[in-house]
Amino acid sequence: MTILAALNKAYGRMQDAAPFGYSQEKIGFLISLNDDGLVASVTDLRTGEGKKKAAPLMPVPRPGKRTAGIAPNFLWDKTSYVLGVTAGEGKRVLEEHKAFKERHLESLANGDDTGLQALVRFLSAWKPERFDELGWSEEMKDQNIAFALEADRHARIYLHDRDAARAIWARLAAEGDKTEAICLVTGEMSPVARLHPAIKGVWGAQSSGASIVSFNLDAFTSYGHEQGDNAPVSEGAAAAYTGALNKYLEAGSKNRIQIGDASTVFWADASDAETTELAEDIFAVGIGGANEKIETELVGACLTRIRHGEPMADIAPQLTKGVRFHVLGLAPNAARLSVRYWFDNDFGVLAGNFRRYFTDMQIAPPPRDPFPGLWRYLTETAVLGKRENVPPNLAGEWLRSILTGSPYPQTLLATVLMRTRSDKTVDALRAQMLKAILIRNFNREVPVALDLENRNKGYVLGRLFAVYEQVQTAALGSKVNATIKDKFYGAASAQPRKVFALLDKGSANHLSKVGKQSPGWRINLERSIASIMAIMEPADDPFPSSLSAQEQALFAVGYYHQRSEFFKPKQVQDTESEGDE
Amino acid sequence: MSYGIRLKVSGAHACFTRPEMKVERVSYDVMTPSAARGILEAIHWKPAIRWVVDRIHVLEPIRFQSIRRNEVGHKAPAGKIKSAMKSGSLEGLHILVDEDRQQRASTVLINVAYVIEAHFEMTGKAGPEDNPAKHADMFSRRAASGQCFHQPCLGTREFPAAFELLPEDAKLPVAIAEDRDLGFMLWDIDHAVAGRPSLFFRARLDKGVLEVPLPDSPEIRR
Repeated sequence: MTILAALNKAYGRMQDAAPFGYSQEKIGFLISLNDDGLVASVTDLRTGEGKKKAAPLMPVPRPGKRTAGIAPNFLWDKTSYVLGVTAGEGKRVLEEHKAFKERHLESLANGDDTGLQALVRFLSAWKPERFDELGWSEEMKDQNIAFALEADRHARIYLHDRDAARAIWARLAAEGDKTEAICLVTGEMSPVARLHPAIKGVWGAQSSGASIVSFNLDAFTSYGHEQGDNAPVSEGAAAAYTGALNKYLEAGSKNRIQIGDASTVFWADASDAETTELAEDIFAVGIGGANEKIETELVGACLTRIRHGEPMADIAPQLTKGVRFHVLGLAPNAARLSVRYWFDNDFGVLAGNFRRYFTDMQIAPPPRDPFPGLWRYLTETAVLGKRENVPPNLAGEWLRSILTGSPYPQTLLATVLMRTRSDKTVDALRAQMLKAILIRNFNREVPVALDLENRNKGYVLGRLFAVYEQVQTAALGSKVNATIKDKFYGAASAQPRKVFALLDKGSANHLSKVGKQSPGWRINLERSIASIMAIMEPADDPFPSSLSAQEQALFAVGYYHQRSEFFKPKQVQDTESEGDE
Repeated sequence: MSYGIRLKVSGAHACFTRPEMKVERVSYDVMTPSAARGILEAIHWKPAIRWVVDRIHVLEPIRFQSIRRNEVGHKAPAGKIKSAMKSGSLEGLHILVDEDRQQRASTVLINVAYVIEAHFEMTGKAGPEDNPAKHADMFSRRAASGQCFHQPCLGTREFPAAFELLPEDAKLPVAIAEDRDLGFMLWDIDHAVAGRPSLFFRARLDKGVLEVPLPDSPEIRR
């Protein structure tokens, strides 16, 4: 299914979808009027405290798309249009208010509905100076304002909800010369939307909204078409797909995750609400990490069983048949949105790909968090661990390869190695990523836990480096300013021949110092070094002059395994213990 | 009488852009009939014939990749060029790329291979010496020897297509074993009608084969 068609379908299934011609907008304040047009009261509709006051969403007549022109909305708008006041220095506030007044006086003048006539009287009598005269709160400026009759205020019937208003709006919304064409979402002949409603909530995009379908510059148009004619989408379909996206992209929505710079929305298409929720939660925790909003017990159990390779039929049989899962990644580009990835397949396929991903990533000892979100891994690839520094294409390509089971992006390997060399830490997350890339992209066998028999040069050297670091800590304590890891990790992993002779020489001094205090410990450390060197073959160039990227990755994994070995609780000395969970 | 031909095309990248995602390009999953027609017309076309695509076989798994390219935001306007021709000076007829940069991301297909099954029909412009056998022969000769008017492309000109004629007795390569509902796909653009509307049809991939409706079929929404 295409992206727009799937969103169209999802909108149809939403319960609180606004009807056609209306959209959910944040309305901050309510002005209630008496029948004669005088203001009865002003109500603050926002909830929350202090700076975090959030205006509630309500279905109001759909706003026109305002980029640079003046286009008043019907029966609601921001204060610069409705009242002619604004907090900042409004250059054309007066024109905006005039346009709002004219629009309403024109369309409502000949009616007889009490509410609408009250509005007409209010607008005729209103002057922007009266705002200060009436002493209305400064917070009201630049909020969206709606109207109601005082009598209807408690029943929450706003002016735009009144029957007369609905009828007038239905007529107004259908006006304008609309060309008819075959809609590419529904396949029916219907009026074509010239401009599509804005999509708000994408991180990094303009706050006034961005568009997936936009043709604002002439390099983007074809065959002499203008704006929406380049891609005929009916008004209904345009409202539906943007409505669905806006709903999913709301702050606090359970259907969105931020991955790098791509705002990812995901939704399931199942027969009942419970299955839908379970499918979406499994995805949310699997990719986004543990989440306070989702109760992780059932979901965590499902994920652990997926991780262990149980088939979906055993874990949650209702998810195997007929559940379609969609994932859409949107990346911002000023006022446009580009589609980073689109996944649209059975949930069973997704679960299978998850299982592959978890299996690739398995390492012992595991990271502290059982389900680190993808963003945790991505911050490991970023300079200073900041989200804005994640290489933009990398996040998208990585998620796409996880969802579709294709090879991981090659840049992931290079980026993780580069960060490891810069900040000289190999933690569980980085070791996991390197292992996963080696397994999937290069078809290597990489041990999950410490493998004492593994003869790969990179792995062995990584282990040896970890032991040398241990020796230094044993001799000089852990409060050293710069350990050999800080000074030599980069050179040791990339050009071992330059460095390992130096490390061995240094270790001799450290060992003799250790020996003076606890000879037993010294013997154990020497034994560790000897056991690693026993694997090396002198004729086989055990300290090569350079290691390839794959071998550097194995170096990191070996280093991680060996180092974690030292932090395990003490076992009996002469039992060879394989790494355990 | 219509002669059917089978042409295998392949390339490293392909972008059969969806009309609704034209700016930040997203490709259709499968080659569109209009792109197939474009490839055939690049190899051989005369006003006497009109190519009609019957079937498209998908030979490689469908995989996407995202790339970002720096482009410009404006086209050279036809009116300005006409006035420059009249006035004889190039004043004002330029695009300063540095001031007009637009970075556009594209989601393209990688490593594609298709077999296009098509036939051609004679049009009203066919003269007395035009007959189907002659054009079929010309096409086969040109496709077999690699001749073309311009390099055929997979959607956009920057993704060239390598083509190979499958002779009549050769076995058809096996398509991928995939069934997919592709939604509404562009069939072609109706250049004969004012406003150049786009024509869509409901596309389905059945065992890796996309059946394309004939031009006057009711499946094409107009």
